[in-house]
Formats: sequence, structure tokens, C-alpha cells
Amino acid sequence: MSHFLDRLSYLTQERESYADGHGTLTGEDRTWEDGYRQRWQHDKIVRSTHGVNCTGSCSWKIYVKGGIVTWETQQTDYPRTRPDLPNHEPRGCSRGASYSWYMYSANRVKYPMVRGRLLRAWREARKLMGPVEAWASIVESPEATKAYKSRRGLGGFVRSNWDEVNEIVASANVYTIKRYGPDRVVGFSPIPAMSMVSYAAGSRYLSLIGGVCMSFYDWYCDLPPASPQTWGEQTDVPESADWYNSTYIVAWGSNVPQTRAPDAHFFTEVRYKGAKIVCITPDYAEVSKLGDLWLHPKQGTDAALAMAMGHVILKEFHLERPSAYFRDYARRYTDLPMLVKLAERNGRVVPDRFVRASDFSEKLGQANNPEWKTLAFDERSGKLVVPNGSIGFRWGQADGKWNLEEKEAGGEEIRLRLSLLDVRDDAVAVAFPYFGGIVTENFEHNDQGRDVLVRNVPAKKLQTQAGEILVASVFDLMVANYGIDRGLGGDNVAADYDQNAPYTPAWQECITGVKAADVVTVARQFADNADKTHGKSMVIIGASMNHWYHSDMNYRGIINMLMMCGCVGQSGGGWAHYVGQEKLRPQTGWTALAFALDWSRPPRQQNSTSFFYAHTDQWRYEKLDINEILSPLADPKDFPGSLIDYNVRAERMGWLPSAPQLRTNPIQVVKDARIAGVDPKDYAVKALKEGTLRMSCEDPDNPANFPRNLFVWRSNLLGSSAKGHEYFLKHLLGTCHGLQGRDLGSIGGAKPQEVTWHDEVPEGKLDLLVTIDFRMSTTCLYSDIVLPTATWYEKNDLNTSDMHPFIHPLSAAVDPAWEARSDWEIYKGFAKKFSEVCVGHLGVEKELVLTPLMHDSPGELAQATDVSEWKKGQCDLIPGKTAPAMTVIERDYPNTYKKFTALGPLMAKVGNGGKGIAWNTEHEVKQLGDLNRLVTEAGITLGMPRIESDIDAAEVILMLAPETNGEVAVKAWQALSKVTGREHAHLAHTKEDEKLRFRDLQAQPRKIISSPTWSGIESEKVSYNAGWTNVNELIPWRTLTGRQQFYQDHKWMLGFGEALCVYRPPVDLKTVHPLQGKKGNGNPEVVLNFITPHQKWGIHSTYTDNLMMLTLSRGGPIVWLSEHDARSVGIADNDWIELYNVNGAIATRAVVSQRVKPGMCMMYHAQEKIINTPGSEITGTRGGIHNSVTRIVTKPTHMIGGYAQLSYGFNYYGTIGTNRDEFVLVRKMNKVDWMDEPAAVPTERSPA
Amino acid sequence: MNTLKLLSVLLGYPSAELVAAIPELARRLGEDEALQPDTRDALAGLLVELEREDLLDLQERYVAQFDTGRATSLHLFEHVHGDSRDRGQAMVGLMSLYHRAGFVLATSELPDFLPAVLEYLSTRPTQEARDVLDDCAHILRAVGERLLDHRSPYAAVFSALLDLQGEPPLIAGRSDADDCHSLGFSDNDWQETPVEFGPDAAMHGAQQSRGEFIRFVPRQHISRS
Repeated sequence: MSHFLDRLSYLTQERESYADGHGTLTGEDRTWEDGYRQRWQHDKIVRSTHGVNCTGSCSWKIYVKGGIVTWETQQTDYPRTRPDLPNHEPRGCSRGASYSWYMYSANRVKYPMVRGRLLRAWREARKLMGPVEAWASIVESPEATKAYKSRRGLGGFVRSNWDEVNEIVASANVYTIKRYGPDRVVGFSPIPAMSMVSYAAGSRYLSLIGGVCMSFYDWYCDLPPASPQTWGEQTDVPESADWYNSTYIVAWGSNVPQTRAPDAHFFTEVRYKGAKIVCITPDYAEVSKLGDLWLHPKQGTDAALAMAMGHVILKEFHLERPSAYFRDYARRYTDLPMLVKLAERNGRVVPDRFVRASDFSEKLGQANNPEWKTLAFDERSGKLVVPNGSIGFRWGQADGKWNLEEKEAGGEEIRLRLSLLDVRDDAVAVAFPYFGGIVTENFEHNDQGRDVLVRNVPAKKLQTQAGEILVASVFDLMVANYGIDRGLGGDNVAADYDQNAPYTPAWQECITGVKAADVVTVARQFADNADKTHGKSMVIIGASMNHWYHSDMNYRGIINMLMMCGCVGQSGGGWAHYVGQEKLRPQTGWTALAFALDWSRPPRQQNSTSFFYAHTDQWRYEKLDINEILSPLADPKDFPGSLIDYNVRAERMGWLPSAPQLRTNPIQVVKDARIAGVDPKDYAVKALKEGTLRMSCEDPDNPANFPRNLFVWRSNLLGSSAKGHEYFLKHLLGTCHGLQGRDLGSIGGAKPQEVTWHDEVPEGKLDLLVTIDFRMSTTCLYSDIVLPTATWYEKNDLNTSDMHPFIHPLSAAVDPAWEARSDWEIYKGFAKKFSEVCVGHLGVEKELVLTPLMHDSPGELAQATDVSEWKKGQCDLIPGKTAPAMTVIERDYPNTYKKFTALGPLMAKVGNGGKGIAWNTEHEVKQLGDLNRLVTEAGITLGMPRIESDIDAAEVILMLAPETNGEVAVKAWQALSKVTGREHAHLAHTKEDEKLRFRDLQAQPRKIISSPTWSGIESEKVSYNAGWTNVNELIPWRTLTGRQQFYQDHKWMLGFGEALCVYRPPVDLKTVHPLQGKKGNGNPEVVLNFITPHQKWGIHSTYTDNLMMLTLSRGGPIVWLSEHDARSVGIADNDWIELYNVNGAIATRAVVSQRVKPGMCMMYHAQEKIINTPGSEITGTRGGIHNSVTRIVTKPTHMIGGYAQLSYGFNYYGTIGTNRDEFVLVRKMNKVDWMDEPAAVPTERSPA
Repeated sequence: MNTLKLLSVLLGYPSAELVAAIPELARRLGEDEALQPDTRDALAGLLVELEREDLLDLQERYVAQFDTGRATSLHLFEHVHGDSRDRGQAMVGLMSLYHRAGFVLATSELPDFLPAVLEYLSTRPTQEARDVLDDCAHILRAVGERLLDHRSPYAAVFSALLDLQGEPPLIAGRSDADDCHSLGFSDNDWQETPVEFGPDAAMHGAQQSRGEFIRFVPRQHISRS
């Protein structure tokens, strides 16, 4: 019988096999796969990014499901680059990828919170009286204020609600303005570029009420003052893609793969193209492994290394075998041909100031600003000429000659002479200061037997109105300063590299520890490459170079190398300083919104370093004597007093801003003037001269001059950037602290001359500290009011960086969680409540605003050749010239909210502008009205464009800025043409019709449009690089000479020995000896240099509470030590150790590693006090943060103002918060106390 | 299951409304027979505290205990997913559970806030509530014992929850608060779950039990090893 019936004909159970029978199809249950399908389902993807303190500016996809953010991934839709350039993607790093956790984290601030004791007092008072009266009743009672101020940092918050906190904040502001003045209300927020609308929310509110916005870039010490000194430019750098155009990169103190993760691929890619990479870091940092050569100088001595490299470059490429390219570049784009007067001082000939047209008869034909026009010799005619482009041509010149054409003021073609060697009248013995011989405890010195080095310099005689003088060119002074023998005889010059004379490669060896041969090799290759490629040698430089007291020398030493080799302004070359990435690309659109320039001008802005130095009383502990930093060539009699005295002088002369400004309420000043029947400015001038009106800076410890209300948003001030943390706690906040040192009063030190000394130390100057954050940061712990803000996936905002040319949106993927609100809504809420509660206390008021002599304004031409103080009777008090400018401003306080939410009339009436140029903006205001719609409610803003939402605010920025509105870009370039006399608009014509809107950015990141705000351009041919338009469009640098300046001729620069770059060893801050051997716990101590680099495991320098990142590290505070130092005091890896000095103490774990250089220890930025930090054996309080062992020490040269590039600008110039000269004692801890028990203070009960 | 509603109310932020309702709560507690006498006494202690102490002081303590930090967070997923990306997805699952029962969230709180979960369960059949609480028992125990060691009266609420499930009582001095400073703690806590495929994958089981991607079991317990 066949199997015919048994056999299946139409069906089979056999499975199809594949892969030669290795695989078989099966039919098992596949429902398990649904789990994964659902897992990756989402409702929508929203484009956002991360700001504040991550400056990566990377585009991210945020996945949302059911109104909840589920995860994020990198966006990969950036516009393509050119065919010969790698694309930008992928951008985004592990830190960004672990961000979404912040949103729902236990550490999130969920509700508006108020310190319980303050709220109790407030509610009690509020039962009986109105809001402003209630605030007055609290802060006017010493017991009531002590009750809550002394508990700052010790917990005790309760939830409140938005209505209540808005009322407290508004009442505090109204009371403070009425009682003390609007400039007692201050706000701190950093890096606006990273979320500029959120920044603008707070700064707009503050600017409308007359409050003060505080700088961050100088305070963070991310500002390299060498940049404004050299270029008149805050910081302008190549985008990261331009690294790929380089052929020789020196990564000098910059740890690109660790701190610039999303950009680092360009750095590695260019190596495959053949670029040589040299890494210079004292420790074996991540970047070192990418280098073809790794040099590791002693930390803090980089200037010595740079000077030695400069020695080689100058000698070989400018003197022995001159590079035609270098010499041409030097002649046209640097001050090397400019002439400097040689003056006699104390029997020596020293370089003095640049000679000016005004020194000569008939002022060399210059009617306009002759004292601000520098001179040089024309090689062809041999004549002394006034070349175009110096700052005198920038202001008040009718005929547009502020340019770098090779012409003199009369229009004749010229070719400037670099050296006077061949045409000299004489070789003169000129004295230069030498600091390399200073003996310090922890750094090697190179004794040359003297601190003044005399070298022969070719000079020419010139007949001036004051008689015959000797002049030398900057080039010849430079060659002498670098100690190169030119055959002019004399001492202190070297003919070969092995001689131990400053600044030869052999000379630096004992200071830096780097072999002389390596110096010669790198210098030669660096210059040779630049010669062959016309400037494609680049130095990437970072914070570790800038955080030293003498950072200017580190930076100028390197900038000198770049300028000598013609690298600045050339694609693939130049100075790449990436710290703080403060490039707010649509800047001029933003400033209008942020500082309420649409309603009143000027705003109040303050340099934070000087502010905190004064108001946290760090000056009371100052031990750095002026004589320690003065040039051996200066007469100490000309430079009396202490560091704060210089700041006070600078404020009085209008060099630096002040906050608060006057001891008297500026509203009262105007009232007093009206009573006296005189103009308020005339009144103030007279009263200041008579001494009846005093500037606040002269008495910071007088309660009349305290800052009273402080807003902190987008920042972790007290957990991260507040140098001198313990001084903040003691004096500004009035709470428990770990300060170990004693002030000048108690140790009998010399007191300042210009400042009133109070024996009674003020504690708790601030009445109200409000912090707006999405996470319970260290700063929040110390605040009185903590407000929950939207995270970066919960609000709309804009974000730009200097690392790439794109503008990004932050988008609200979901509504803010819990009770959080966006910064824009929070400040809008303050403005609304302020407008209500001020009624009856503040109406339409007039007040007097003081403004320093601003950079990029005619004010920068203040005192050309001397420093005269009105206070000392050396000159008259002329506002805007010898003193701060004065403006009377009207504040319509009850209309603050209306003003906040509408674009005011000044944009159409006065126009917009920036960096010294201005343009009409009526058309943009009209278009903005069409876009955002007009205000229809009756009142002062009827018919004005609305700024209701955060997107409205973003549109204001985008519409007004040349970088995002091509039509404005064309207008801006045309405005610049009026000053330069050259046509520039061709740089923007092709983009005239391009207008970016917020929704465009959400669709795809967009490239910005080239504008005169910046010195580089974006095009299909070049990547953004700083100085490009200076070199290619012949736009002068915004300096005295209009060129890049090797030479700094201000009187204070000469006095402090920094006319030319020199090596200066770190300063001695004297913080270790008073405690050495005095605080014994039985374990040995070692003295180490305290270094605070940027890390890998926190969100840039602000947050280290990301548990993902902490897990990749050690999960708490750590300090890196060398094996050598650890062994010397018996510390093993992971031991609990303590670091301390007179400033305070830090409890942390040790990471013992061979990568660290002996003699230093490293604590990465901003490791939060809230994460696994035990108590300190020294202070008895919790651990401390990295700034617990630091204190600010200011530098007088950073206070110079009213002098071309050395003029104040917000975040542009001013004192900086250096901290790397600091030393600490390190030892093993005996007992780790977690201090987990609640603090043993009885809860205060209100009387029933 | 009104006991759960009662416990939900007690775990909420102390308010004037809560304080005013204490006599009523005390009465209801006295009538509650689901709880053991010891547990009732402990809860009565919390009520006394809530009634006696100053409201702002109570709120200060509540904020310090529950609003900041992980150890005694009232958000259940803090203890399951911590700050991993699974947390968002887990909340989505929990919300859809509420949706299916006809509820949406009325406040700005997250769905895994324990008082919200308890309120939801108080509206559900006893067995469903038991199942969910069974899954959470280890979290309730861990948080409860930490509170006990902090001498917080709120520990009573957690005792009560365990009591309802017939679980053994909280034991003092056993909490792992100190362990969170050890390296092992964070390593375990942050270990990624191995991805598994196939019909026997662990995730499959989790779905079967709840029909959704919600789990209250710590991830290290999920891997089958």
C-alpha cells in the first residue's frame, strides 16, 4: 500500500533552512519582541541641547512618550561642511547622554522653597502689614536677620508657592531700592551664549529696575587679559573645524579629548592628514597621548618655555634667515614698526610710551586725536609718518582712515621700517626688568646676579616739542628683550642657545625642566611650518595656562610666537583659547533684550572679581605686597598702597565699574540736586569733589554700601566658581565657615590707604540670596529662597558656541516637572509682582548711573600719556574723561512688567549696534511687530512688539542680530565702512535675504551670517578663524596702534614690568606656613601646589552630581597626587586625605597616580559638597569645595581703563579670579565623620 | 481599601488641612481592623506629632526627609531605576495603568510618588493592590528602615504597609544608609542589566505580570543568574 493517503500534499512540517543548513526557520512565539518594540516607541522627538555650563553646544534628539522624557540621542543632521573637511558629527558626549536623569532625579528642586525661619518671620509680619513693610520689619531687626542668615547652608527649607515667593522677592527688591538704591540689587549668571534667553530674563529684569548684572568670564578666570591687551578683543578663536586646516598644532595646557569631547574628532582627524601635534602639559593629561611630542614643564612656568621658543624664532626667522612672509606680516599687522620713546629714569634708560603725533610740532598735521596716533618710519622715504589705523583714527575722524592699508594719514603709500639697526643714530644701553631670579620656595629660579638687565638697542634721535628724544622700534626692543645678540656689544645677550642668559633655551631648562634641545626643535618646526604654509601653525590653549596670577605672561609668550610667525588671522593658524566659550554669536540682537536697551541706556554692569574681593572681605586678608609685583625699574613711591587701593583708584578714575556706586541712594542724589536747583551731574561732580558724596568702593564694610539682594541663576556660584568660598560664607552670608586665617587688623598688617578700615568685621551682608536652579546645588543649600527652574528639555531658548558656527535651539519637549517654570516665566513673575508691590513706595523715579570709560566707545580715549587722579587734585573731575560717565535715568517702576513684556521705543528711535558701530533698526522693529504681534492693552507699551513668551524673546534676538538676519548684517558692514573707508558689505550680500526664525533652528541647526561683531567670517571657503577680517579686510585691531600689540605702554604696565613679555614666577600667597605643623593629627604633612583643572566626570565646571558620571569616576570628591608625594607622607590610593591652608580645608579621597607631576596635586572643578563629602578634621564643618582653599588676589594691570584696548567692557577686561599660585598642606585623615546627624541646634519656635 | 488612602494622606506634605483633619484620621485609624495594634499605635504617634508640632517645623522636617536626596525619596522608581533612562519609560507604564482605571494625574507630582500610588491602589480591588505592594515590599522596607534609623515618625507608615502585606516588621539598625558611601553600593546600583533575547527573556516575564513595562524589582534581581 502506498503512503499516498498518509502523505500530506498541500502542507509540510519541514522548515526551510538557509546558510547551508546552519539556520532553520522556526515558528515559536515572538510576542516577547513586543517588549522591545514598545520600549523604543515614542510620541515625538524634539530638538534641544544642553546649557549653561556645558559649552559643547551639541544638537540632541529628545524622545518623549506620554508627556515624559524617556531618553536622548545625538542628532546627526548638521549642515554638511565642504568636500575637503570632515563633518561636525557626531557631537554630544557621555555627559549629555546622561542628562535626562536630571529631570526626574531625587536631587531636582521640585517646589519653590524658602528658608523656614525666614518664612516664619515673613508670614508673621505679613499678618500685620503690607509686603514692603513686612520685609522692612525683618531686615531692620538684627535678631530676625541673624536667625535665618546664621542657618544658611544648614538645611531648614519649607515649600512655598509662586505667589508667596514672588511677593517676598519683589518686596525685598522694592525695599532695597527705596532704602539703599537699585545698585544694591545684583544678579550673577554665567555664559549667556549657552541659554541666552534664560540669561536675558534675569538681566532684563535687573536692568529695568536699575540692578546690577555681574560678569562671569573674568571672575571664572577664563578671560585671558592678554587677548584684550594684544588685540582689543575679548576672546576670538577659530572654530574647531579649523583645527583640520592646520598643519602644526601645539596643545598647550589644553586637554582637548577630555574637555572638548564633541570637537576632539577634528584634532584626531587632522593627524591622519599629517599635521604634527605637540602637547605641553605638566601632568600626563589625556591629550598627551595624542601628541607626537610631549613636553612637561613645571606647572606655572610656561612663560619661560614660550620665551625661549620666541628667542629661537626671532633669531632664526627674523634675523639670521629672515622669512619674507613673517617680515611682511609683522610690518603690516603688528606694532613691531611702531616707535617707543626711550626715557631716563633713576639714571637708567628705559622703554617708555609710544611716541604720538601730538609730541611733534604742528602735531604732524593731525587735528583729530593727535595724542592717540602712533608713529613709525617709512622705509622708502625715511620719513617719520603717521600710519592709518591707530585708535586716533577710529573716533571723530571724518575721512574714514581707520584701516590697515599701507598708507600714512596724508594718503601716501608707505612701507614701515621694522628695525632701526641700519639707520640708527646710536646703540643705547636700555634697561629691562628681570624676574626670573626671584627666589621662591617652591619654584626654581635662574639667578643672573641682578634684577635689571641692560642691553644695547639701536635708537634714533627725534626732535619733539619737548626737545630731543631717543626712540626705538618695538621690533628692536623685542629682540633685546629676548636677549638675542645682534652684534651691538654689551651684556645680557646670547649668541648661542647653550648660553645661560635670559631667554635662551638653556636658560629656561632649570626653571621648567624641559630640555633645551626640545625647545629648539619645537620652535624651529613651529616657525618653519608657518613660513611654508603662511601661518598654519596653531596653539590650542586652555584654562590651566590662564589661572595663574601672571597668566598674562604665559599667554603673551605664546601669542608672541604666533604673531612672529604670522599665524593670527590665517586659516588653520593662530591662538585657540577654549575656556568659557563665551561666543554669543547673535550678540548685538541679544544685548538689546538682555540689558533692556530698548527702554533705557546704559545698563549697570559690574566686574565680579573686584566686587567679590571687596564684598566678601577677601581684601581684609591680603598678604601680597605691591612691592612683590612691582618692576625693579619702577619707583615704589609712584605705586603706594595695597591691591584694593588700586581698585578704588581705578573705580574713581572711571577705569573699572562700581557696585554699589555711591554711598547715597542714587535716587536721592537726583532729588538732592533738584532741591539744590542744579543739574544732577553737576551736583554729583561738585559733591564728589567736596567729599559730601562718596563712592561706595571707599568703604565696602559700611552697611550703607552692602550689596543687599543677590540673584543667582544658571549658576552654581558657591559650589563652583566662588574663589575664597569660606570668605563668602563668613562675610557675605554670615554663616558657619572653615576660614582659618586672621585679617590684617588682628595680625597688625599694613592697612589699605584708600579704604576705611572697620575693626568690627561685618558678617552676613546679604539680606536675601535667591537661587534659581533645577538641582539642589551647593549654592541652593546656602540660599534663602530656592526656585525650581525648567531643565534644558523643558524650555525654549537659543545656544551658540565658539567651537562651531551653528546656532541651536533649546526646545520644550515637555512641560516643566513639578512646580518648575522657565527662567523667562520666573523673572516675568518677579516683574509683575514688583509692579504691584512698588506702588506707594516707588513711582516714576530718576536716578544717577555711573558708567566706566567703555571700550569700543569714544570713552576709551581718556588719558593719553599720563595717569592723573581728580581725588588727589592732579586734574579736574570730568565725567567720562577722568571719572566715570554719569547719566540720569528714569525708572517707571510701576510699569516694570509692561516694559519687560514689550520691545521698547529706543530700538526704533536710537537704533542698535555694537563694538563701536551703530545702525538703524526701524525695519526690524516693524517686522518683529508683525511676527510677535503688537501689544493691544492700554498703557505705555500699546502698539509695541510683544515679548510675552520665551520664543518671542528668541525672535527679538534673531531679528535684531546681524548673525541671524542678513539684512542687518549688510547694514552693519556698511556702518563699519564709514569708519574704515573700505567696502565690506560683500561679506554679507549673498545672505541679505536670509532671516532665521526660531522654528528654522528647530528644523535644523543653522550657520550664522558673517558680521563685523566678530573678526572671522563663515563662508564656503574658510572656516571661522579670529583676526581673519583684520588681515583680509584690513580692519584694524581695536588697540592703540590698530595693530596686534607686542608692546604695552600704559604707565601701570611699565610700572608693573609688563611692557614686554617676560617670565615671572608664581607669586607667594603665604597661606601654608601659619598652619604648618600647627594642626597635627599625628600624620605627616606635605606642601603641594593646588591645581584645579576641568574634568571629565562632571558637567563642565559646574555640576558633579551626575551619578552616571560619578560611577565612572570614584563617586565623590577626589584629589590626584603623584606617587612620590603620596609615598612621602604615607598616603595610599583611595585614602581619605585633607587639604588645608589659611583659607580653609577640603576632605577628599586620594587618587595616587604616576601621571601627576611631583609637587602638585589636582582637584577637578566643582565637586559638589552635597556628594559624599565628610567633615573636615581641621574646620569641624563639612568638607569644603575646591575653592575652600583659595582666595582671590587681584592684579593692578587688569584695572587699567580709558586707554584704547585697555578699557572696561563687560566680561571684556578687568580683574580676574586667579587661583593656581595656591599651595596646600596635605595629610591623611584619621577619622571620617559623615556628619549624618541633624545639626544640634534647637528649632526656634515662634511665640504661640 | 481605605487604610491605603489613610496612609497616602499621612505621607503627604504636612498642611493646615491635614492638621485640621487629624481628629477624623485618628477616629478612622481606631476603627481600622486591617492593622495590628502595634502598628496602629505607631501611626497614632505620627498623628500626635502632626497635631502637636508647629506646622513649619513639620514641613521643614518633611522637606529635609523626603524632598531632597535619594535614600528616603518617596518616588518609588528612584529606588528601582535611580537616574537611569529606564525611569522615564517606567513612569509612562505606570501612567497608562492609571489611565486604564480612568484616572489622570491631578497635580504636578510624578506618577511614582508613593502617596499617589497608594491613593490609586486604594481605589483598586484588594488583590491588585496586594500584588503591587508585594512587588514594592523591598523598597518599602528599605525606606522604612532608613526612616526608623533616623527616628522619623514616618517609619510608622511603612510599618503599616508591610503589616498589611503580612510582612515581618521593620528592624532598626539594619538600614544600608552607610553603605551608600561604599564603592560596591554604587557599582551594584548602576550595573546595567544584560540584554536578553528570545521567548524566555526576563522582560517577557515582567510584562506578563503587569502587562506593561513596569517593575518594582531592583535590576540586579531581574537577571536570572
